[in-house]
Amino acid sequence: MPGTFRFLDDIAVADMAFEAEGDSLQALFDAATQALIQSLADPASVAQTWRQTVDVEEPDIETLLFEWLNRLVYLKDAQAVVFHHATLTVQAGPDRSTWRLHAELVGAPVDPSTQELRSDVKGVTKHLYAVDHDATGWKARVVLDV
Amino acid sequence: MTLHTDMQVNRIDDYLWEIPPTEKRGMLVPARIYASPAILGSMDRGVFDQVTNVACLPGIHRYALCMPDGHWGYGFPIGGVAAFDPEDGIISPGGVGYDINCGMRLIRTDLSLAEVRPKLELLMTELFRRVPAGVGSRGFVTVNRREFRDVMRKGAAWCIAQGYGWEEDLDRIEERGCLGGADPGQVTDYAIERGINQLGTLGSGNHYLEVQVVSDRNIFDREAASAMGLRGRDQIVVMVHCGSRGFGHQVASDYLKVFEKAMRLYGISVQDQQLACAPFRSPEGQDYFGAMNCAANTAFANRQVITHQIREAFAAVFESTPHALGMHLIYDVAHNIAKVERYENGEWLVHRKGATRAFGPGSPALPDCYRAIGQPVICGGSMETGSYLLVGTDRAMQDTFGSTMHGSGRTMSRAQAKRTVRGEQLLRDMKQHGILVKAVSMSGLAEEAGLAYKNISEVVNTVDGAGITKKVAELKPIGNIKG
Repeated sequence: MPGTFRFLDDIAVADMAFEAEGDSLQALFDAATQALIQSLADPASVAQTWRQTVDVEEPDIETLLFEWLNRLVYLKDAQAVVFHHATLTVQAGPDRSTWRLHAELVGAPVDPSTQELRSDVKGVTKHLYAVDHDATGWKARVVLDV
Repeated sequence: MTLHTDMQVNRIDDYLWEIPPTEKRGMLVPARIYASPAILGSMDRGVFDQVTNVACLPGIHRYALCMPDGHWGYGFPIGGVAAFDPEDGIISPGGVGYDINCGMRLIRTDLSLAEVRPKLELLMTELFRRVPAGVGSRGFVTVNRREFRDVMRKGAAWCIAQGYGWEEDLDRIEERGCLGGADPGQVTDYAIERGINQLGTLGSGNHYLEVQVVSDRNIFDREAASAMGLRGRDQIVVMVHCGSRGFGHQVASDYLKVFEKAMRLYGISVQDQQLACAPFRSPEGQDYFGAMNCAANTAFANRQVITHQIREAFAAVFESTPHALGMHLIYDVAHNIAKVERYENGEWLVHRKGATRAFGPGSPALPDCYRAIGQPVICGGSMETGSYLLVGTDRAMQDTFGSTMHGSGRTMSRAQAKRTVRGEQLLRDMKQHGILVKAVSMSGLAEEAGLAYKNISEVVNTVDGAGITKKVAELKPIGNIKG
C-alpha cells in the first residue's frame, strides 16, 4: 500500500508540519518525501529535466529520514531546483548497524514562469520530530522551518 | 483572565508579568513576559513553556524574557531574550534562530506618495525584477568561494567595496554591518553551497520588501523622526525584511548536531532538544560563534545588496539618481542574533530570537546622528496593516539588555490562513485598498494575510507603555514584494 501524508495545522503556527504514514518503512519514506516535494512546488508543474542520485547512510531510521529530508532542502538551494518525484529504496545495512537510502531524484531548475512554487522550506527541525512503529505500520511527524 | 498555561504568572505592572523560578524544576531565574493583559491572554502555551525552559539554561543572568510579539518557536520562543555570562554560560543556536541575523532595514526617500502613486505599478515590477524572491531564487551577485569567505568576514563593507552601497550606510547598520570573530573555517561546505548563489535574494515565508508611506498624522516623535530624515508629508520609505537565507539555516542545523554531542560531553541537560547548547568558551561554542558570525555578516551583505538594487530600481523608474532621490539608509538591525555586549553591570552574551536590539540615547554603539535620540528600531507588521519605527530607551538598557519586540507575531497557522483566504482574492482586495502586491507564490501570499497576525499597534503600544522603546512613526504599505 502506498503511504499517505497530511499537513498538520496547529503544531507550528509560523511554519509547516506534516504527518506521514505507511504500512512499510518504504511507504513511510515515500510519503514523507512526497510531503516535502509538495511543500516546495506543485510537482505537476515541474518538468523532468534534472536528475540526481543520492545515497544517505545513518545509524538509525529516525536520523536517516531526518538527514534525507534535509538533503532535499540542501539540493533545492544549492542547485536551485524543485522536484517532480523521487524513487527510493530504504534498507538496513549489514548486521543492521546502519540504515541506507538510495534515491533517484527527478525535477527541474526553478522557473517561476512555469512552475507553481510554494514555500521556500529552509530546513527540517527536531521540534516534535518523531518516527514511530507499531503493528499497523510506520508513522512520522515532521516540522519544517519556512 | 484565562491564560494558556497552568503556571503562576504574577503581574509586575500593566505591561510586565513574571513566572517565579518555583514554577518549573531547574529554573535558575524568573521568566518575564512583556504584554498587555489582552496580549498575554492570546499567547500560546509554547511561550510559557519555552521561556521557562530558557530560564533553566546554565549561566543565565537575571531573567529569561519574552517580548509582546512572542509565540512558540524552536527552543527559545519567538520574542525571546536571554543574557548569559560569557565565562560560564552557554550559547545556543535555538536562542538565535535558524535564520541567523534575520533583520529589518529601512531606507528613506525624498519622494512623496503623489509622485510615486502614478508610477507604482512600474516601480513594483522593477523591484520584483531586481530583487529575486521565492523558492530557489538566485541573486545577481555571483561570487566564488574565496569571495564568499570575504563576504562572511566583512559583511556589508564587502558590498560597499564592490560598489553596492554608500560608505555612509555602514554608520547606520548595527555593528556597522560586520560582526568580529567570523571564522569561515567553521562553516561546512553544505552551508557554502546553499548560500553562495543567494546574495541579494529575499527568500519567502514572512520575508518581504515593502514600499511605505509616512504621513504627518503617523509621526509620534518629530525630533527623532527628523534625526532619521523623516519629515512626514506622505514621504515614501522602503522596508526590507530578510536574513541569511539557506546559508544561515545550514549553519544552525550543522551546529545543532554538534551541540547534541557536546551536551553529553559537558553534562548539560535541556528541557527541549531544540535548546541544544554548549559552554560559550568551549571549542564547540566558539566554533558555532565563529560560524554564526559568518552567517550574520552574510545577512548584512544580503540586505546591503538588496538596498543597492532598490536604489537602482528607483533611479530607473524616476529617471534620477539614488543620491538625488535622497535614498539614505535609516537603519539596519538584526532580530535573530547572539552577541557579546557591554552594559553598566558587565559584559553579557545576549541572545535575541525574534527580538531587536534597542540601545538607548548616549550609547557609544550608536552613530553620532542617533546618539541623542536612541537607536532606531524597525518593527514589521503584516503586509496589510503597516509597520512601526521606534527608538531604544534607557529603560531597555536597564531592564531588557537593550532589547525589544521585532514584529507583530503570528496568531494563525499557515494552513488555516490558506483555508481562510485565497492568494488571488487577497491580491485583488489589497489592490482595492491601495496596496500593490507582487508575489511569486499565491499560496505563500495567503499564508501572510493580515488576519494571520496580531494587531501590531497593540504590540507596539505595549513596548511603548512599558518604556523599553518609544514610538517614532507608523509606516503604511502601498506596495509589497513577497516570495
